[in-house]
Amino acid sequence: MKAHKKKIILSLPDVILPEKLVLFLRNPMGVLGFTLVLLIVISAVFAPLFATHNPFTMDIANRLAGPSFDNFLGTDQLGRDTYTRVLYGGRVALQVAAIGVSVSLIVGLTLGMIAGYGPLWLDNMLLLLFDAIRSFPTIVLALAAVALLGPSLSLVMTIVIITSIPGYARLARTSTLSIKNTEFILAEQSLGASMKRVLAIHIMPNVIGPLLILAAMDVPVVVTIEAGLSFLGLGVQPPTASWGTILNEGYLIIRTTPWIVIAGGIPLILTTLGFTFLGESLRDVFDPRLRKGK
Amino acid sequence: MTKLLDVKNLNVDFRTPLGRVHALRDINFSITKGKIVGIVGESGSGKSTIIWTITQLLAKNAIVKSGVANFNGMDLLKADNDTIRGIRGEKISMVFQDPMTSQSPVLTYAQQMNDIMYRKNELSSQEKREKAIAMMRRVGIPDPESRIDQYPHQFSGGMRQRAGIAMSMLVEPSLLIADEPTTALDVTMEAQIIHLIRELQKETDTTIMVVSHNLGLIAELCDEVIIMYAGEILETGKIEEIYSNPSHPYTQALLACDPARESKKTRTLSVIPGDIPDSHIKPKGCVFASRCELAVQHCRTEKPENYRISRSNHLAKCHLLDPKKPLPKPQSNFKKIPKTKISSERFSHKDKEKLLKVNNIRVQFPIMTKLKAKLKGINDPYVDAVFNASLSLERGETLGLVGESGSGKTTLGRAILGLVRTKSGSAEYNGRDLCQLNSREFKPLRRNMAMMFQDPVGSLSPRQTVRSLMVEPFKIHGIEKNYDEEAKRLCETVRLPENFLSRYPHELSGGQARRVGVARALALNPEFIIADEPTAGLDVSVQGEILNLMNDLQDEHGIAYLVISHNLPVVRHISDKLAIMYLGRLIETGDSANIFEKPAHPYTEALVNGIPQPDPKKRRKLLSIEGEIPSLTSRPLGCEFHTRCKYVQKKCKFDPPSIKTLSDGREVLCHFPLET
Amino acid sequence: MLIVFLAILALFITLHSIPGDPISIALGPRATPEIQAEYAARMHLDKPLYHQFVIFIGNVLKGDLGNDLFSNRSVLLILSEQLPYTIVLAVTAIGWSALIGIPLGCLSAVKPNSLLDKITGIVSVGTIAIPSFLVSIWAILIFSVGLKWLPVIGAGEPGDFGDQIYHLILPAFAVGLGWVGYLARMVRASMLEVMSENYIRSANAFGLKSRTIIFKYALKVAILPTITLIGVGFGALLSGTVFAEIIFSRPGIGKIIYNMVLARNFPVIQGAVLITIGMYVIVTLIADLAVSWLDPRVRDTL
Repeated sequence: MKAHKKKIILSLPDVILPEKLVLFLRNPMGVLGFTLVLLIVISAVFAPLFATHNPFTMDIANRLAGPSFDNFLGTDQLGRDTYTRVLYGGRVALQVAAIGVSVSLIVGLTLGMIAGYGPLWLDNMLLLLFDAIRSFPTIVLALAAVALLGPSLSLVMTIVIITSIPGYARLARTSTLSIKNTEFILAEQSLGASMKRVLAIHIMPNVIGPLLILAAMDVPVVVTIEAGLSFLGLGVQPPTASWGTILNEGYLIIRTTPWIVIAGGIPLILTTLGFTFLGESLRDVFDPRLRKGK
Repeated sequence: MTKLLDVKNLNVDFRTPLGRVHALRDINFSITKGKIVGIVGESGSGKSTIIWTITQLLAKNAIVKSGVANFNGMDLLKADNDTIRGIRGEKISMVFQDPMTSQSPVLTYAQQMNDIMYRKNELSSQEKREKAIAMMRRVGIPDPESRIDQYPHQFSGGMRQRAGIAMSMLVEPSLLIADEPTTALDVTMEAQIIHLIRELQKETDTTIMVVSHNLGLIAELCDEVIIMYAGEILETGKIEEIYSNPSHPYTQALLACDPARESKKTRTLSVIPGDIPDSHIKPKGCVFASRCELAVQHCRTEKPENYRISRSNHLAKCHLLDPKKPLPKPQSNFKKIPKTKISSERFSHKDKEKLLKVNNIRVQFPIMTKLKAKLKGINDPYVDAVFNASLSLERGETLGLVGESGSGKTTLGRAILGLVRTKSGSAEYNGRDLCQLNSREFKPLRRNMAMMFQDPVGSLSPRQTVRSLMVEPFKIHGIEKNYDEEAKRLCETVRLPENFLSRYPHELSGGQARRVGVARALALNPEFIIADEPTAGLDVSVQGEILNLMNDLQDEHGIAYLVISHNLPVVRHISDKLAIMYLGRLIETGDSANIFEKPAHPYTEALVNGIPQPDPKKRRKLLSIEGEIPSLTSRPLGCEFHTRCKYVQKKCKFDPPSIKTLSDGREVLCHFPLET
Repeated sequence: MLIVFLAILALFITLHSIPGDPISIALGPRATPEIQAEYAARMHLDKPLYHQFVIFIGNVLKGDLGNDLFSNRSVLLILSEQLPYTIVLAVTAIGWSALIGIPLGCLSAVKPNSLLDKITGIVSVGTIAIPSFLVSIWAILIFSVGLKWLPVIGAGEPGDFGDQIYHLILPAFAVGLGWVGYLARMVRASMLEVMSENYIRSANAFGLKSRTIIFKYALKVAILPTITLIGVGFGALLSGTVFAEIIFSRPGIGKIIYNMVLARNFPVIQGAVLITIGMYVIVTLIADLAVSWLDPRVRDTL
């Protein structure tokens, strides 16, 4: 069985690499997206290398300075170097994204497959749960939660995960349902395959594709939620740098200097655009129906 | 004898990611006013492309390289957008293949028909509505005044096609194009639609162009016929001539492969070996040369001319017909392709051991959730898909399970294999009742029975190679074997080249995917196989391959088959016994030759007579059956067939019939079986 | 309907299962035992949990959402003052984005891969990606601080219609921008799928005018999933509205919740969340009803 599984995974690149990679590279949006993502990830992971200052060091005398050779993006109201804080803010954002998306994906995939493949009553129940959570305005949920438990990064993370799971679950469920009724599942059953085998070997590989694309598109959402909540003071607490907190500080002194708000916003946009472009072009490559007009 | 449509020198290409496809090459034909012309071709012949070309409805990646399509003095190919829109829907009208998807689901028929007549400014909306109602009545839709305000999904398939014909005749077109008008319909409905089209044509003298792969349909309807293959026209002429004196080797082969033309029952069917040529490459010589039995060197290098066969307009493109060349003329009785193996004896029937005995199986499906049913006050929200079905299968024999849509044949097949739960009844196999086993108990028995599915590519897991698909049965049942050896052995058995082992299902053609399905079914040496529509989607010239393979395997290993099909001509040739289903019940079972020659049940008679005959001399004058299959939720009282039965008597309307056994061993569910 | 009940139940349970003593959290450490007791009695905190829930539901149905912890005014009253502002903002945002987004999507689908289509595509993706609160902030930067064209704070003088509109422009723009792209893409994808259906080919074959085909045959079908999606996406819209209210200091449900969160004013928060749920449910219901009304196939299954 293990050898069988390995063969599937190893044989995937044969099908995917040549044809699809070429298609992907032909898409300028995709290449742009990929580059942006790479840029963001590298700058976040290697932030200490690229940073010019310590993100916490204050230099009151130099506060609210404009961009200069010393401070690429200027300084904030406490004299801290904005550029460095932006880099470190990227770390927060990616941390939330990485953990948030992975956990949501795994939980969502499992729940979705169970909902799709299992008995009808279970499906209905889970569906109800998913819809209830998914449609709720995240911010309201977040505000209520903060009211009870106080602001923190882990709270943001939890909220992000909880609100993302239904998205993955729903997609997994739909894919599972559509595969479940195809003839090849019936064929497997006629050969005597057990439910576990059907789920693991036949359903999962076909379901996970769209989910990975959703994950790429979900990162901007997650990052936005984190930034938004931190902006409102509900997430990351000062003095930790997060794009959201930077924006908050910038907003408060927006009439004095525009630079902080600009500095905080640009990486956010680059990240969201990058991942969105990447996700879009991935989807084009794997499901070209939507893009090509006939 | 005016020519309504004259097509000359038409060449159409398609731009695809993999290069240019030469879909139509050197097409020349004409349609005379008042005639019905048929275009016959298998998949890839380009017959549908012609339709879209002359109406300018081709996809955006199509290029019309050259050609003229003269319609009443105007070249359709060069007409501008407004002109062609004017012609469509006024002079040229269409009937589409699939009535389920060709009509807008959100507009009523009244609205759609009103839209179609939008150019008729001389009529008021009330008059338009009346015209539409009259047309609906003419095509046989009952109660048209109220039904015209209904939506397509409220009509059955046959009714929808009738409505589609009504829509196309509303504008009184000069040319009606019918694209596979009966392919999506059942046999009995097909017969009715053929009858309808013929009558309409007589009344209105409309010129009709029918495009189809169904030789029987063409023979029933058309005056003249055009034979196409891989983008070229190979033969044209009057229908009687072509069917009785086919001159091109392809036409001869095609007619020989059609099981409905073979009056004697043969276990194997003719096949044209090989595949249609790659349409990316322009063939140097004759396009059929690579598969032609009579091809000579000349055929592969030079394109043949169109030679006149007789004094009428019978033309065929074949070198062998060149009067100047001393080559042997193609014979009109085309030699059958001999079997690759001459099997010594059929698996001896001495062993008439009963393999499978099905008793009174009943399968129900819920039509609404229990909650809704309670709310609506319905006690029994179930519908019987299969009711009281009993049959038996002996070792080494082939039983054909025949029925139209809704007959329950597929459900019965799945119920026997435990893929669908039965409400009551039993299926005895090896002394055990399959219906009572749970999945774990069933599992070891699955080694002895297998299923071949209708959708060849869809029944194969898309992410597995052919090799892993074939050996999957071994893995499921935990049998340790050398998988590579087994895979090779299976490939050989189904005559699939070994290099296919590393391919994925989406890289296979329909026929190849079917072979993989057969191989997988054979992996564990089953005793019987249930084959669900084994020839669905296969061209006539290739369906023999899979059937002959199944036959050979039966001779070698003694496998019993339960073949589920609605394709009567095919079933007739390959089955020993037949079981006919209607509305979930078995209405006649017995020896297949007897049933075909002298059907005992009126429905069987209607089915047998309803098959379109690929011989224009055998055109049926009268309709074999009227009406539609009743819905499973509103079964008629008494004998369920009485609403459509030609021989209905008073007793039939109230008394359900019981099974009568006839002298030759047949069982019939009828009060008054026909004289045998 | 079940969803509403579930949501309320969940809310209630969460609120009451937080760690710590609700009394001291609400009243702070300086409350005397007498005040604490009075609070407990008033809030029925001495009764068992399920009893509290029943009382709660009863109160909701009566229209009594409790009282503000500090001012003691009826929560219902407070919220009903704020609600109209939120509704106005949300409706305006959807309104203008639909007016631009839907036709854009439609046009892109009709002429796929044209210049318009490609530009729309990039713009759509772009606007979806940018977070709405960022748009708000930068809009303020550009239009209020930089160009000084539009106001930043507040909703304008009540009673002065013109002033209200003036204050509405920027927030509505910020909230709706993301939706333009979202709607355009949705309509485009939907239309493309519909246009490749067989019945569109039939309509063409019958020689119907392009305009008839696009609007009567294609758009009518394509719009259905879009309507459903508006219903589903409403939650996200409300999120954006809340941010806009906070950033622009506009009165509204979002602003209220934000303020009350910092003050730990539970009844108000509870009530506001309830109202949000209610709004969302109503919108989804409207969307579902609209779809069934427009699609005869769904009508029949009901």
